[in-house]
Formats: sequence, structure tokens, C-alpha cells
Amino acid sequence: MRPEVALPVIIPLLCGAVSLLFWRSRPMQRFIAVAGTLALLVVGLWLITSVSREGYVVIHMGSWQAPYGISLVADMLSAIMILLTGIIGLGLAIYSLASTSTQHEKFGFYPLMHLLLAGVAGAFLTGDIFNLYVWFEVMLVASFALLILGGEKAQMEGAIKYVTLNLLASVIFLTAIGLVYGMVGTLNMADIGQRLAEAENQGMVEVLAIMFMIAFGIKAAAFPLFFWLPASYHTPAVAVSALFAGLLTKVGVYSLFRVFTLMFDQTMPYVQDILLWGAAFTMVTGVLGAAAQYEFRRILSFHIVSQIGYMILGLALFTPLALAGGIFAVMHNIIVKTNLFLISGITNRLQGTYQLKKMGGLFKERPWLSVAFFLSAFSLAGIPPLSGFFAKFVIVRAGIEAEAYVVTAVALAVGLMTLYSMVKIWNEVFWKSLPEDNLVPESSTPSGDEGRLVKSSLGLMYLPVAILALFAVLIGVFAQPLMEMMLMAGEQLMDPQGYMDAVLGEERTVLLRDALEVSP
Amino acid sequence: MSLLWTLLAPVAGSLLPLAAGRRNRRWLTLTALIPPLLALLLLSLTLPELLAGGLPRVQLSWMPALGLDLALRLDGLSLLFALLILGLGSLIIVYAGHYLHRDEPDARFFAYLLLFMGAMLGIVLSDNLLLLWLFWELTGLASFLLIGFWSRLSDARRGARMSLVVTSTGGLALLAGILLIGQEVGSLALGDVLAAGETLRASSRYPLIVALVLFGAFAKSAQFPLHFWLPHAMAAPTPVSAFLHSATMVKAGVFLLARLTPALGDTSLWALSLSLIGLATLLYGAWFALFERDLKGILAFSTISHLGLITLLLGLGSPLAIAAALLHILNHALFKAALFMSAGIIDHQTGTRDLQRLGGLARAMPLTATLTLMATAAMAGLPPFNGFLSKELLLAATLDSRLFGGLGAAVTLLVGLAALLSVGYSLRLAVGVFFGAGRPDEPATHDPSRSMLAPGLLLAALCLLIGLLPMTLAAPLVTLASRAVQGSATPTLDLALWHGPSLPLAISVVAVLGGLVAALRQPQLARIVALFPRRDARWLFEAGVIRLTKASLWLTLRLENGSLQRYLALLLLTAVAMAGLGLAQVERLTGERGVQPLDGMLVLGAALMVFGAVGSALSHRWRLVSLLMLSVVGLSVALTFVRFSAPDLAMTQLSVEVVSMILLMLALFFLPQRPPPWVSTRRILRDLLVAGLCGLVVASLNYALLTRETLSIADFFLRESVPGGGGGNVVNVILVDFRGFDTFGEITVLTLAGLATYKLLNRMKLFMPAGNVEGIHWSRHRHPLILAVIAQILLPLALLVSAYIFLRGHNQPGGGFIAGLITAVALLLQYLARGYDWTRQRLPLSYPLVAVSGLALATATGLASWLFGYPFLTSTFGHFQLPLIGELELASALLFDLGVYLAVVGATLMILVNLGRVTTVHRPSIEEEN
Repeated sequence: MRPEVALPVIIPLLCGAVSLLFWRSRPMQRFIAVAGTLALLVVGLWLITSVSREGYVVIHMGSWQAPYGISLVADMLSAIMILLTGIIGLGLAIYSLASTSTQHEKFGFYPLMHLLLAGVAGAFLTGDIFNLYVWFEVMLVASFALLILGGEKAQMEGAIKYVTLNLLASVIFLTAIGLVYGMVGTLNMADIGQRLAEAENQGMVEVLAIMFMIAFGIKAAAFPLFFWLPASYHTPAVAVSALFAGLLTKVGVYSLFRVFTLMFDQTMPYVQDILLWGAAFTMVTGVLGAAAQYEFRRILSFHIVSQIGYMILGLALFTPLALAGGIFAVMHNIIVKTNLFLISGITNRLQGTYQLKKMGGLFKERPWLSVAFFLSAFSLAGIPPLSGFFAKFVIVRAGIEAEAYVVTAVALAVGLMTLYSMVKIWNEVFWKSLPEDNLVPESSTPSGDEGRLVKSSLGLMYLPVAILALFAVLIGVFAQPLMEMMLMAGEQLMDPQGYMDAVLGEERTVLLRDALEVSP
Repeated sequence: MSLLWTLLAPVAGSLLPLAAGRRNRRWLTLTALIPPLLALLLLSLTLPELLAGGLPRVQLSWMPALGLDLALRLDGLSLLFALLILGLGSLIIVYAGHYLHRDEPDARFFAYLLLFMGAMLGIVLSDNLLLLWLFWELTGLASFLLIGFWSRLSDARRGARMSLVVTSTGGLALLAGILLIGQEVGSLALGDVLAAGETLRASSRYPLIVALVLFGAFAKSAQFPLHFWLPHAMAAPTPVSAFLHSATMVKAGVFLLARLTPALGDTSLWALSLSLIGLATLLYGAWFALFERDLKGILAFSTISHLGLITLLLGLGSPLAIAAALLHILNHALFKAALFMSAGIIDHQTGTRDLQRLGGLARAMPLTATLTLMATAAMAGLPPFNGFLSKELLLAATLDSRLFGGLGAAVTLLVGLAALLSVGYSLRLAVGVFFGAGRPDEPATHDPSRSMLAPGLLLAALCLLIGLLPMTLAAPLVTLASRAVQGSATPTLDLALWHGPSLPLAISVVAVLGGLVAALRQPQLARIVALFPRRDARWLFEAGVIRLTKASLWLTLRLENGSLQRYLALLLLTAVAMAGLGLAQVERLTGERGVQPLDGMLVLGAALMVFGAVGSALSHRWRLVSLLMLSVVGLSVALTFVRFSAPDLAMTQLSVEVVSMILLMLALFFLPQRPPPWVSTRRILRDLLVAGLCGLVVASLNYALLTRETLSIADFFLRESVPGGGGGNVVNVILVDFRGFDTFGEITVLTLAGLATYKLLNRMKLFMPAGNVEGIHWSRHRHPLILAVIAQILLPLALLVSAYIFLRGHNQPGGGFIAGLITAVALLLQYLARGYDWTRQRLPLSYPLVAVSGLALATATGLASWLFGYPFLTSTFGHFQLPLIGELELASALLFDLGVYLAVVGATLMILVNLGRVTTVHRPSIEEEN
């Protein structure tokens, strides 16, 4: 029995259910929010210590051996993602205590947050492709509910697009699962990987690979499948935006990493080319989209898309170093991008708007907030020695080693445009003086995202922002131990046999192979 | 180790002024002086080792996996730069203490300045190329903060942004170059790289490496055509300009060139790129300096020009030229810092830097005039100042060079021209400010305090002293630096003001005379220049940015026009195109199993489904009809399941079909009753094409798979269902046991969906029509009697059926999911027949609570297995003997199934009842009288 593998899913689920039972008690819900996410963080640490000791930790749900039951598998990648989920979850829970309006709390913000985290954690841990689909659904429904928290018209419009396009992704995903099952008759990803490698009809395998790529591409918001993201991410309450920005698309990226290392090897050049060019176009279109925007959260949203490109590039280059770089990018992005959204929430509180043109003067007014933004923004732009630099650097280095010069050059250029975008925000929001026409009245009660300056509650909003900003620096300082973890994750991904042995047991692997050799 | 502290002193020391607070300026200045002075002291501790011929180094590992180490070295080149950085830095701190206004955030200013100093020191001390690059970027960041220090000014913000973007562009190119070097050499340690010159030059990627490295260095050192950011960086406070944009940051580029000369130099590619770009920059800067009105503008262009000079010397590459380049780095830093200081003083005292508004200040400000005139003379290359020495060396090196072949004479001529121009603009500056007629309307000014003048005067004095005693003051340092660059090739320097009559001297004399003429005729020249439109590269930069923004807006609007239909079409087309590409790789569509025979029933069923699907699409404008057509499809699917003996699936499909139809009917109520307008035929054709393609691709995929052999783990489930799961119904055992975790997730989804709908509907205010389009009111009889009666009779029956289905589920078709749906439909019927309020009174259940307790029960069942030391959701079962009933088999999975049941009932009713309630509560209809 290895509870640390199941707990990351069970804790938020249980917290969600208990929160729902205490539907009317706000203090209780707030308490569970913080306690539950803290527990998640602790379990995340537990899991990552186990994994770094043992390599893989596997449990079979209901004691049914793989591939018959559903297995939860933690390798280094999963453990890293779970730990990050815990960090972001806790940060957001604390932030939400101050930022979420009473109205949203009554609507069920906290239980929804828990269930969303459960979906995210389930997706990171499951070793079963259909179970992955189930967790995707949990995430989708929870995120939809969170999107429409306020019930405003813009939110509804964004949410409809979000849910429609994501449902389409689910349909494609489900079709692909059906086809895979039809082909190899199993749902365990490790098992699928083994059988697909042995399959005679590699042409069909390629089609399947592409279907999965599209499904996860939509979820990850890769080019040209990203429309839903900029259409919706700037509409909900800011804590929700931050949660989505940090975690949701990364689940798509994670799934790409998982499926395209475990189930499909990348010997199919055609598939790898699509990934490579998809990554390049994702980076470019995202960053170009941001260039034209003057709304704080919309700029950030487009940058999510662009950063996704980096991560996929790490996958497409397909070397241990590149994969490590991709995962490093995921880690850095989850932390930094969430923080930028959180900061946008504070600035909105202070100035009552997300429009850059109407903001200003925060550098003088709020020096510490400025420092936090500065660190996060320049980290996103890949300026050393902040976290983003290492992510970019490792990928670029892997790109040069793989002699993929064009894509590497694109990655560098995109970094530059990101810098430009971030400086745009910095100049407008922090350096520029507050324009005369910002006449948002001060209000004394928290009222969702409207109104400005609620002094009493700002402290709780600053706390996670400060910690996450500190992370952006510390990741740079402790780059070596982190990089070792990433490299371990990358090497595990490059060698799926280890994962397969851990899940299926070594004897079975041999047996199956014998059986396959005997039967035509 | 003291080397490390040398570097850390200013980096960590940057926090010192912030910590010191804003007590008073003098105190703060002194605090800010501690780090550089400390660093100088520490440096002197390392010096003996260097002078003894050693190479002091420190190495700490940071990220060995990536070849990044905290490795530092101190060689002659580092020493030259480190002294400049720390020495000038200290002077500038003293100066800035007087320059800044009383109420400016000086602590922050000093912090930035020290941070910058540390970064710069890092560049010159790095013993690892990657580390060097890290500090390289840090200087960009620090200078961004410094240029934008007066952030309320739009010019400062733009200047800061532009310099950051341009130098970062260079930085990224440099990074790529460094990584390529690392790959060729196999190490990023400076020692290894410098020793691997042969390998690098022989590499096929050498041109690429050189291009990237030069791009980086040129962007930093403001070489033509990447110079344009420098004049705009003058928006910074003057001490910053003095330090960054004359003495240090811009020198980082030439430092890098010098640093990498052993590794990359000594090829014609290197030599020609450097010397040609350097020459162009030299002339360009000098020419435009002549026409600036702003004091700092003149100095900025002159800086560009002098940087070009250094690059040119490095490009010429002869031992003497390189030594001359190093000498000029020193000279230029000294006089240019002094000049910027004086420009700052003039600005500070008179309030303007405009040459047109200045004049005749020599009398009012004698000390400032002395300082400026000395430094200007050095800049113009007049004896007996230090600038003269390096200019003579430049001319000599140009004359010696064979690099340009037959063009050598022309190049010498151009260098002479540049010398002429520099005399011209220097004269113009000196005369314009201190002589001639002052403006009568200006208030009287005077010299600033001694301590503000002192740093500048010191520098000016140094310019003179180096000119007079070059062999004592400059030669040892330059020789040391030169050894680091060219090793044993270092020439014995023979620096002196007077070498006897020579060709360089003659050129100098002509240049001075010509410069006099140029300064006198400046207005005429300016008129000629004005004839040509000035294509400032900055303008190009800004226009480029605007164009890029517009293009991206255009692109974004193309892709992101807000139309969901378009997004869907694009997504589907992408999916179809890519999957189609994949399909093209499959050799044969039909697999080895071939096609099975068809029978009448199958054809009929398929035809029914096709009919339903097509009909539903065709009738989409009449929503009710379309819905009914859709239900045909759903029911046919249920029949298909029956045909292939899957009773569980058929039952599930049937009940889901019923529930979703009710849901859609309820939703229909809120939609406009008029048919939607006819969309254009073009769009219909487009949609038809997209849908048709999707259908084709998916059908082909299915066909391809179904005609092939398949492996399956299904046998295991059939075999293990009874012995392992304790149930005869494999489907149910899969749902609640084998794959219970999936079901667990699914009921979470269901509960969530129910809650979301519930909450959303509670807050929505929807428009309720009172009748249909023709204006006819809805029927007054909302609750027909027959329905009410039948519903009431059906209820117990239906509940009984659902209980039965639930209980037998583990062994026969049925189970919690189906039972839940049946219960939900039965209860729903009561709402339909009797209305919301009536039913609500008799059934005061909180459906959210039902659903959540279902979820909680399922979780608890799963967790219970932990108590027994088994993984989550492990089931057990046993046979019990009950009186009267007999043997009963109970499985723990039944409890889990109960959770499923509750969640399904709760969630379904949460959605449907609320949707129904909304239609009744807000409906402005005529209430029937009961």
C-alpha cells in the first residue's frame, strides 16, 4: 500500500465533498481550502522523496493487477507535477481567502477548486488512458463551473467557447481511445505502449498518434488549436484565471509528454515534424497575439500559448536534455505564470482596471509588488539568473545539439518578444504615472473584481505572490539539484521500459513478448 | 577566494544603500562607496599573484550538468577593466551624490548603480563563457532600470525599453554563439575555449559562430547599424550616461571581442568584419556628433565613434593595433567620463544642455571650463593629452595594415577624416559652451561645489598625466592586458608624445587644421545635411514595432475573430487534415479480416440512424423536429446494443436518452421560438464539407480497425468476474470493481455538472414567453389530470423497479447507474404532472446533498479498504445466511454502487428539476384554478 500515490487525488476529492457538505459555512470552507491544499503540498513532497529514492511508485486500484485494473503511477515527471499542483493550490487557496468575493464563495468556489485540483492530480498520476480521459472530464466540468462563477455576460460568452471547443477535444480524445482499444484491446498506457510497438500495422499507429496529438494539442492550447484560451482566460475571477493559467494547459502538455514517450515512440519522423513545427508556430502566434493586446490578462493569456510552444519543443527535440528542459519550462511556467496572474489581480484591486492605458504609478506606490512583478515578468522573458532563463537555456542548448537551428532561432526570437511584452506591462503599469482618467472609486468592501483598494485583505494576497516571486529566484539558485530532477524525469521518459516494468512487472513483460512472438 | 568576494562586494553591496535608508545624502553616498572601495582593496590582494605571472582563479560549481560554473579569473584584461569599473564607479558615486535632486529616490539609484557595477565586474572576471553571458544580460537589466530611472518621462521609458530590447537581441545571438562554441570545444570554461582557437577556426560552423558573437558584441557596443539605442539611452540621469554609456557597459562589447580574439580572431572574416564595421561606426558617429545640439547627444555620438575606433583597431589585429585598442579603451573611458560629468554639471547649473542656449560660461565657471577643455582636447586627440597617443597609434596601425590591400590608402584617408571630424565636434562643443556670446536672459551661474567637480577634475588630470608620462602610468597596465589577449605577441610599447616627424603626425596636423575649418563651417555643413531626410534607425525600430503590432493584430483577428463557428471549423479541419495525412500512410484500408456479411436488420438499423442524423441536421431550424430526429439516432443506438447482446448498455443508453431528451425539451423552452434566420448558402456548404470530411475520416478509421485482428484483455474480465469480483454481470463488475476508479471520477463529473447547473440556474433571469409566436397563450391546463394520476400510480412501481435493478445489478443487467436514472425519471414525472411546488412540498429533499453524499459514500467505501491495508477501492464480498430470505451474497462493491446511485439521482434531478422550476416560477402565465 502506497498512500502517497493515491492521496493527491483523494485529498482534494474528499475536501471537495466535505466542503460541499458544509455548503453554508463559509469559515469551514475557507479552512478546508487552506488545510486541504496544504495537505496536498505535503503529500507532494512525500511523493517526490519516494520517487527520487525508488524511481517509480505504482499502486493498482482495487488490487487488480495491471493491465486489468487501473494503476496509478508516479514517476519523476508525475511527482514533479503533483508537487507543483500542491504549491499552486496552496498559494491560490490563501490568495482566494482575500480575493474571492462572498458571492463567489457562496457559489462554491472552494469545492470547485478542490475538485479541479483532484482532476489535475488524477491526470498526472493515472497510468490508464481511459482514466486520463475521466480526469480530463472532471477538470473540464469543474473549470467550466469556475468560469461562470460570476455569471456575467462576457464570462458566459467565454465559457461557452471554452466548453464547446474543449468538448470537441474530449470527443477526439475519446475516439482515439476507442480506436486504440479496438487495435490493441487494452487501456493501460504501459501495456498499450508495448503492444503498439509490436503492432504490425504501423500506419494505423501513426494515425492514432495524430489523433492523440490533436486532442492534447487542443487541451494544451497549441497552434492552431488554441482559440479557446485567449477567448476565455481573461473573463473569470482572477484567482480562477491564475489557477487555469498555471495548471490547466499544463495538463495537456503533460499528457503529450506522457503519451508521446510511453505509448508512441517518436521514430515516426512525420509525427515528430508535426510536433516540432507545431511548437514553433505556437511560440510565434502566441507572442504575436500578445503584442497587439493592451489588457493585462489578455497579454498574459497569449503568453501562455507561446510558452506552451517551448514545452512542446522540448518534447519534439526528444533527447533527455530537451525533455528535461521541457519539464523545467513547465515547472517555471506554472509558478511564474500563476504569479503574474495573481499580481494582475492585485493591480486590478488597486486601480480598478485591467486596461494598461488606464493604469500606472504602481512602482512608486507599491515598490514590493513591483519587485515581485519585475522578478516574475523578467523570469518569464528568460532573463538570467531567474527561473525562465534556465528553462529557455536548456531547451536552446538541446536544440543546438540536435542541430534544429531554425526552431531554436525561433525560440530565441520569441524570448525577445516576450521581453518586449513584459516591458510593455512594466512601463505602463508600474513606471508610468497614473493617468488622470482613472477615476475608479475606492470601495471598502470586497466586491469581486470590481471596486478598488481593500486594504485589510491585501496582505493575504501579497503572501503567495511574494513566495512565488521568491521561487522564481530560488529556482535559479538551486538550478543544479532541480536540473538533476528534471534530467531524471527526462531519462525516465526516454526509457519507457522502466515505466512498463514498474507497472506491469518484469515477468509479464517478458511473457507478453513471448506470446506475441509466437502468435502471428 | 578573494576574487569571489571582489565580485560579491558590489553585487551584495547593492542592498547596502537600500538598507541604509534615506537619512542624508552624504551618509548615503559614503555607504554606497563602501562596496567598490572594498572590491578594489580585495582586488589588490589578488594582484601579487597576477604580477608574479600567475593566473588567479576561483571555481565553484553551480550547474555542472549544463557547463555553468561560478568560475572567475583575473588576467591583465580583466584587471584593466576591473580598475576602470571600480575606479570610475567610485568617482561617479561621489559625483551622483551631488547630482541627484534632494527628493529623488537616491538609495534606489545607488542600488541600481552598484548592481550594474557588480554585473559588469562579473563579465570581466568570468572564467566561464556562460557565466559571462549571465552577467552580460544582468548589465542589460541594470541599465534598463537606470535609463528608466526618471520613469515618469516617456522618453526615459522608451529609451530604456529600446536599449533593453536591442542589447537583449544581441545577447540572445551571443548565447547561441556561446552554445555553438561550447559544442565545438566541448567545454565552456574560458581557458579551454581560448586554447581551442585552432579547432574553432577549422570548424564548418565558424562563420555562424563569428556572426552570432559579433552581433551580440556589436549590439552592446553600439556599432553601426545597431548603434541607434545609445543616443536614446541618454534619457538616463547623467551619472548613468557617464558610467554606462561611455566607460563601461558599451565597453562590454569590445571587451568580449578582445577576450575572444585568441579563440576566434586571426582570420580574414574576423578581421574584415571588425575593421569595416568599426570604420563605418567611427565615421558615422563622428559625422553626426558634429550636428548635435544637445551636449549629451554630441557625447553619445562621439562615444559611438570612439567605440568604432576600438573595434577597428581590434580588427586590424596586428600586435600593435591590439595594444592600441586596449590603450584607447583606457583613454576613452577617462576623458569621456569626465566630459559627461561636465555635461551634467552644466545641465545642473544652467538647466539646459542645448548648445544654442549656452555660451560664454568660461568666466562664470572657470573650473568647469578647465575640466571640460582638458577632456575635450583628449577627445580631439590633441597633445599633450592621452587621446593623442592612441590616435597616433591608430594612424600608424592603419598605415601598417595590409588587410585592405590596394584600398589601404583609402582607409587611412577615412581614418584621417574621422580624426578631422572629431577635432571639429570637440571644438564646437568647447567653444559653443564656454566662449562666444552668452545668452543675456540666462541667470548668472557659477561653478558647483568643489566635491562635485573633484571627480571630473581628477579624471581630466589623469588624461593629461597619461599623456605626459605614458610609459609610467599606462604602459604597464596595457602590456599586462595585451598579454592576456595576444600572449607572447605583445609588442614592447613605446609610448611618447614626440617620436619625431612621421606620416601619422602629418595626418594629425592636417586633421586638426581641417577640424578647425569644419567647426567654423559647421552651420553650412548642417544645411547640407538637412537636405537629406534623416533615417534614424530608431525611427525604423519604432516603425517596425508598430508594423509588427499591426500585423499581429491582423493575424489575431483573422484567427481569433470571436466566432465560435469559425473556431470549430478550424479545429475540425486541422484534425481532419492531420488524421487524413495519417490515413494516407495506411497501406490498405480493408484489413485482413475483410467485411462481414450484412443482414436485413443491420441495414435497417443503420438506415434508421442515418435518417435520424441527416434529418436532425436538415431540420435544425425547427428545433423540436430536430430534437425528435436526434432521439431516433439515440434509440437506434440502444437497439444496436440489443442486437449485439449488450443489455446493460442498451438499458443505460435508453435511460440516458430519456433523461437527455427531457433536458433538451426543457432547454428548448428558453430558446427563441422563431426559426433562426437562414444562413448563407456558402456557409452551409462549408459546414457540409467540414462535417462530411469528419464523417469520412472517422468512418474510414473505424472501418480500418474493425476489419483487422485485435488483441484484447477482455477474457480476463470474463474469467475473473465471478471468482474475483463476486458478480455475474461483468459489465457491472467492471464498473464498480475492475475499473471502479473510472466510475468514481465519472460520478464526480456528474455531481459537478449538476452543481454548476443548479447554481447557475438559481441566478439566471431568463426571458419567459407567455405564449407561442402566433400569440396564443400556453395551455391553461398545466397539469393534465390523467398524467397526474398515472404518474402517481407509476411512482411506487418505478421505485420498486429501480430498487430491483439496483440490487440485481451485480449479477444481472442493471446496477446503480441505470437504477439511478430510472428513479430520477420516475420522480421527474411527478414534477411534470403536478408541478414544482406540489412535489417539492411532498418531497423536501435537497438534491445537491443527495449527490454529494453519494460521492462521499463512494469515497468512503474506497478509503475503507485502506483500513484493511489494501489499495484504494479494493472490494470484498461474502455470502451470508439470512433467515427467511436464504443465502445472500453481499459485495462491498454494492456500497460503492449505492454511492453511484445517489450521485446519479441527485445530479440528474438537480439539473432537470431546477430547469423545470425556472420555467414555471418565472412564467407569466394564467394560473389555473385548482
